[in-house]
Amino acid sequence: MATAIPSIACLGNNPLHTSIFPSYDPSSNSFRPMRTPLQFSLILSSTLDVFELRSRQNAAAGVGLTGDFGLLHAVDDRLAAYGFETNTGTRFVVIVDMRGRRIDGALAAGLADGRDKRIAGAAAGLREGEMRPVFKAMQVAYIRLMQNPFFDPDDHSPPAGQGGRKITSRKFAEDMRRIGEAWTPGVTSL
Amino acid sequence: MDEYPAGSLDHSVPFLLTLGTRTGAPYDAGLSAALKEQAVLIRSDLAPLESDQAHALLRYMQDRDASRLPCNGRDAAGRKYRFRIKTAERSLLLPPRRARLPEGFESPSPTVVLHSPYSPLSPISPLYPDGLVDTQWIRKHQDLVPSVLLCFYTLASDPTLATLCDNQIKTDVNNIRALLSQSGYKTRLAVVLLSDHVSSASSVDGVQDRLETIRRGCGLDSKALFFVPSSDSQEELDRVAENMLTTLYTVSVEYYRDLGRHSRKKRGRGIAPQPTVPPTSGTSQTLSLAGWNVRYDFKSAVFAEYRLEMDVALRSYEQAYENLLSSELMELIPSWSPRWNEARFLADVVAVRCLRCLLWNGQHSAAARRWQFHRERIADFVDRRGRGTNNYGWEAWEARWAVVMADLIDKVDIPELAPTTLRLYLPPEKSVMGERLQPWELLHHTGYWYRLAGKHLQARKVFAYAIPEDDRRSPSSSPASHVAKAAFAYDTYMCPDPYEEYPLGRAGVNHGQMIVDHLIRARSEFLKRRQTRFAAEVSLECARELAAAKGWQNIVELLRPVWKELPFRVEGWIAIAEELNWALRTAAAEVGDAELVLLADWELLSRDFAKRPNWHYDITRSLDGVTITSKPSVSIRDGQLRSFVSASFLFKNEEGKAGQSVRSQLSIKSNAHPESAPVVLNSVYLSFNGSLDGVILRHQENEQAMKTRGKATLAIVLLTRQADSDAQSEPETPDEVTSGVTLVGSADLTLRPGQTLVFNMEIPLREPGETRADSLTINVGSEAFDLRQSLTFQERGNTNLWYISPSATKPVAHPQPLAVRVLPRPPKMEVRCPVWKEQYYTDEPISLVFEVENGEDVEALAKLDVLLFGEKPPPFTVVIADHEDQTSSSVRSEETRLSGAPMGTIASSKSLAVRLRLPPIDRSSRYDLTLKVTYFLPTNPGTLISQTAVFQLNVVNPFEANYDLLPRVHPDPWPSLFDPEGVAGQASVDDTPHPPKGISQAWSLITRYASFASEPLRVTDIDIAIHPSPTSRCITTTKHTNLPASGAGRLISPKTIEVSTFALTAQKLTVDDRAPAPLDISLTIKWTRPDNNPSSDTSTSTVNTTTLPIPRFTLFGTEPRVLASVVHHRRKRGGTPLIALTITIENASNHFLTFGLAMEPSEAFAFSGPKQTTVSLLPVSRRGVEYRLLPFHLPGAGAGDGDGTRDGEGVGEQGGGTNEGGEEEDDDEGEGMWIRPGLVVRDKYFQKVLRVIPAGEGVRGGKEGFEVWVPRLREE
Repeated sequence: MATAIPSIACLGNNPLHTSIFPSYDPSSNSFRPMRTPLQFSLILSSTLDVFELRSRQNAAAGVGLTGDFGLLHAVDDRLAAYGFETNTGTRFVVIVDMRGRRIDGALAAGLADGRDKRIAGAAAGLREGEMRPVFKAMQVAYIRLMQNPFFDPDDHSPPAGQGGRKITSRKFAEDMRRIGEAWTPGVTSL
Repeated sequence: MDEYPAGSLDHSVPFLLTLGTRTGAPYDAGLSAALKEQAVLIRSDLAPLESDQAHALLRYMQDRDASRLPCNGRDAAGRKYRFRIKTAERSLLLPPRRARLPEGFESPSPTVVLHSPYSPLSPISPLYPDGLVDTQWIRKHQDLVPSVLLCFYTLASDPTLATLCDNQIKTDVNNIRALLSQSGYKTRLAVVLLSDHVSSASSVDGVQDRLETIRRGCGLDSKALFFVPSSDSQEELDRVAENMLTTLYTVSVEYYRDLGRHSRKKRGRGIAPQPTVPPTSGTSQTLSLAGWNVRYDFKSAVFAEYRLEMDVALRSYEQAYENLLSSELMELIPSWSPRWNEARFLADVVAVRCLRCLLWNGQHSAAARRWQFHRERIADFVDRRGRGTNNYGWEAWEARWAVVMADLIDKVDIPELAPTTLRLYLPPEKSVMGERLQPWELLHHTGYWYRLAGKHLQARKVFAYAIPEDDRRSPSSSPASHVAKAAFAYDTYMCPDPYEEYPLGRAGVNHGQMIVDHLIRARSEFLKRRQTRFAAEVSLECARELAAAKGWQNIVELLRPVWKELPFRVEGWIAIAEELNWALRTAAAEVGDAELVLLADWELLSRDFAKRPNWHYDITRSLDGVTITSKPSVSIRDGQLRSFVSASFLFKNEEGKAGQSVRSQLSIKSNAHPESAPVVLNSVYLSFNGSLDGVILRHQENEQAMKTRGKATLAIVLLTRQADSDAQSEPETPDEVTSGVTLVGSADLTLRPGQTLVFNMEIPLREPGETRADSLTINVGSEAFDLRQSLTFQERGNTNLWYISPSATKPVAHPQPLAVRVLPRPPKMEVRCPVWKEQYYTDEPISLVFEVENGEDVEALAKLDVLLFGEKPPPFTVVIADHEDQTSSSVRSEETRLSGAPMGTIASSKSLAVRLRLPPIDRSSRYDLTLKVTYFLPTNPGTLISQTAVFQLNVVNPFEANYDLLPRVHPDPWPSLFDPEGVAGQASVDDTPHPPKGISQAWSLITRYASFASEPLRVTDIDIAIHPSPTSRCITTTKHTNLPASGAGRLISPKTIEVSTFALTAQKLTVDDRAPAPLDISLTIKWTRPDNNPSSDTSTSTVNTTTLPIPRFTLFGTEPRVLASVVHHRRKRGGTPLIALTITIENASNHFLTFGLAMEPSEAFAFSGPKQTTVSLLPVSRRGVEYRLLPFHLPGAGAGDGDGTRDGEGVGEQGGGTNEGGEEEDDDEGEGMWIRPGLVVRDKYFQKVLRVIPAGEGVRGGKEGFEVWVPRLREE
């Protein structure tokens, strides 16, 4: 089992965009979203807690200027949330399912003889900074969205902090889908 | 962790047992009944100590019991000893070292080897014959067999009893020692002697001797005998106790090291020992060598843990674990065997102990990984060899496994993970920093682990609820075959059988409670770390479980704060808010919390939320079925809920004036579900901050004026004022606005889903200032409840739409449509100037009359401020009737002002005249004149009203002029150098003024002036003023103006040129002085305003004098001049006009000059006189040469304008001096012609031709020489 992204979200303090990707379900040997949209909403909103905590700590320590928050927290032993904050305060959250992908042939062959599952476990882990390409790609997509003259960021992330509409750009959603499907650990550019 | 048998997972701490103090309770080690009868009794014969000192010592030791201390290396490093301390009064039981043979067993051979009752070799042990290790063994060392037995005795100080006492101690100690060695345990014996003497200082030596005697008598090590001198000081006691414990600790560690060595030795033998009795039951299988190795490794590890050698312990545990799960051991155990679960249990215990070792060393990520690894291993194992992982038993274990980790983290007490650090997880330790890590391997705080446990418990519940009914029956009521089948289908490792897990017909395991317990623990951890949203998520999960258990009150308590405080709805997490609402609404309805039900129902009306089918969506019915005690009244703040009602307000205009009214529009929009019932608003209250009154609209059914079309409904509401008292009695008016006047209107306030109610209102403005529409409060109510929602108006950039009609809108242009600026009541005082002129003139005193008219309804007390602004403004005087004249003061160079001139009271619709006097201004300039009338009305004395009028005062020069100075021939003879009188007069140097004796010249000054005024002016006199010169004297001889001689003056219309001629005579004071002399003249025009306005009598009487400076001319000079002048002789009527031309040559120089004159013959005339002659002139002399000219062609009537240049050029620059002549000829009606005599005057010496200068009428200069006028022949 390898990692996959089951959800990508773009958040202000309000959800701007959420893409949910199916995860591999070993019991039925099929791909389906492992949580309901409500559950993903809850998971995503709970990352805001971490953003708030972390930005306070970062501000105190004077670090985190790149906006990459790294691992926000592991929701449980399967899902983990990674975060990134642009300098305009838009947050990108990626929920990674550590067991969300079926192991493809090559990896499976490599693991078949090594009976020790620890190898498999280690291979499925993530190094620090491995999510950076995802965030970079998301930021590129977001910047492209912002360059659209018909896109008014204040509509979506109002300065007053209340309300705000979701992003409806099809191109942006398509970008998110592409990023979510293409990413696997070790991918360096999306 | 609590689910595991007591002691199985506890941290191993060296065990110290004290003997010989009074404890009050008998010592019970908890030996099993089977072992109790075989147990070894160790007993002290002496009475237990009861002294305070003994108790103090014991308490000191007990206080330092280490069994509950945090399990981490950091804390342990600072401690010199760790003991688990138990106390026994006089006796203790030790488990038997060797188990007896079972009853009735006939020994086949005499050499039966007896083993420990805890060993799988002894039939008495539950492990017999093929078990591995069980909790009993762990407990044996933890609770039963002390490493150190510490005996308390009193050292009697009484000399008479000393020897006896000492001997008793010796006997007792030896007795205990004997019993101990008999038991086979290597427990170390130590003795502490407490002195009962108060002051033992005198007999220190004696005591030392006695101690030595006792030590020797008991055969004790010096490290095993301690003496506590009797002392009152606690510090002394502490010191002794500390010393004692530190010493004992080394002894104790040594004890455990021996044990560890022993088990390693046994492992090293490499053979599996044979049981005491060969097994006869079951598979008669004995424990394999691999099993023994696991047992020995486990023992070594535990002993290492006692010694705090955690690395050693970890290695041994890991070894035991690997061997246990190897193919030789656990793989071989069949899953139906009880040994299978025992092995699983042992694997758990070993794994937990491994985790603890890792955490002890601070390897947090390794611990998390180890945790996961164990789970994977066991899952794999259970999947392959056991009953799989898709059953409640596995989920129960998963939950337990997560809780174990949480408990371990709690026990280890990691400071970096404490709630105050607000850290959610630990960074990976250095050793695994570069590796690929699963996020879960970064050790998260216990909240996450509890939540994980909760999740698995939920899964367990799901699995449990899926158990078929057959399996849920108790086995006694089921067919045996079914029971047998079910036995293999369910994993019951450490959890009940299916008929206990979810029994049919009665309560079994309370899953809900377990889940809630875990989730609540998780929630508190999250809350401690300010993960409020995560805690809310957990609360929601809790609520779901509680709802299943119908714990409605708990749900309300759990969710109400979440619902109220958390920002889900503000942040747009609609799905979450919706979930919360429904959960809370259901619970609140059950509990009877009507307010919450109303709030939730109100919010759920919003179309933002998904529609729940078969829900009524009618706020009036929301309390149906809810038991309420009193009529609920709910007040909702703006933003508290995601309200389906939104409101906006617009003022049509940006500003209005007090006393007028402003058009405004209020729109209330519903965003309710399309099928929801219409909401009838009882009333709405519109409040402003500022001076505006509040507005109340009340509901009135079916108003005729309503125009309903499309989505909006437009109504015009008439507002009437309502007195204070009425407003107070209104129940729906918010309390804070009870004071003040309220405007009341009525309209149909039925709000249908998706509709917008628009109301146009005229709101009267009262007081000046900025006023904003603040908020709208809508009241909904019925007999069952009152609900009040307040909505704050938001300023929105581009969506300020004004409803023209229900279907048409247009944007309101001004940027802040919520605000209206109320301007003060406009002043009705008027300041006018009835006779304001565009221009005023220099050198004229200006008098301006203003009228201040009071247009107010009442009289006004006014003051006047006047400000004159410009370049060097003159001071002015203000004259107000009945008041003193006030003169301005100059504040700065460019302004003059007069402040606060009292004007007194001006009656209503009366006016007051104010006169402003300015002195004559000598330069043309422009000023701004500002008059400001400040007044107040007696009806409102606090408010100053001011009216300002600005006038522009243009002061211009009324006249401009230009000038020509023409030479003339002076008739008088020049003074002669040879005239002694004239010269002698010059010589005297006295002061008396002499008549001028010098050269004299005559000049004619022609001034042409024009009026630049905007109106005709009356010029009364024109004169010139000659400035006296030191070297010459100049006087006006004649003046020729075209003004009437009466002095009444002439009206000069603007832009017409008037000419005045002045004849001047200049004479030098002395003959000697012949230098050029300047002539400074200025023109003085005396004028008045034309008196076409007889009322303003003052202006006509004033004669203004405008003085225009004339540019400087230069007279005299030493250069010779040639002057031409003519005289027309008319001797008789009709005769030939004879023209006498006199050429006068002046030599003002000191030289003798000779001039040649040559007269060219001409076809135009004949002449008499020298054709060619030479004139010599002495210095300062002049001579005239006369010609008589007779023109050939006399100008007649036909040829009159032959040249036609007369009138035009006469005024021009050619300086012909024909002006006077022109006048004459006008009188003569005559026209003439010019002839040009070709006369050349040449300076003989310099050979220079001199210009002939016309000097008088009838001669003019021309381009090719001078010309002479020939007048027209008179006909009569």
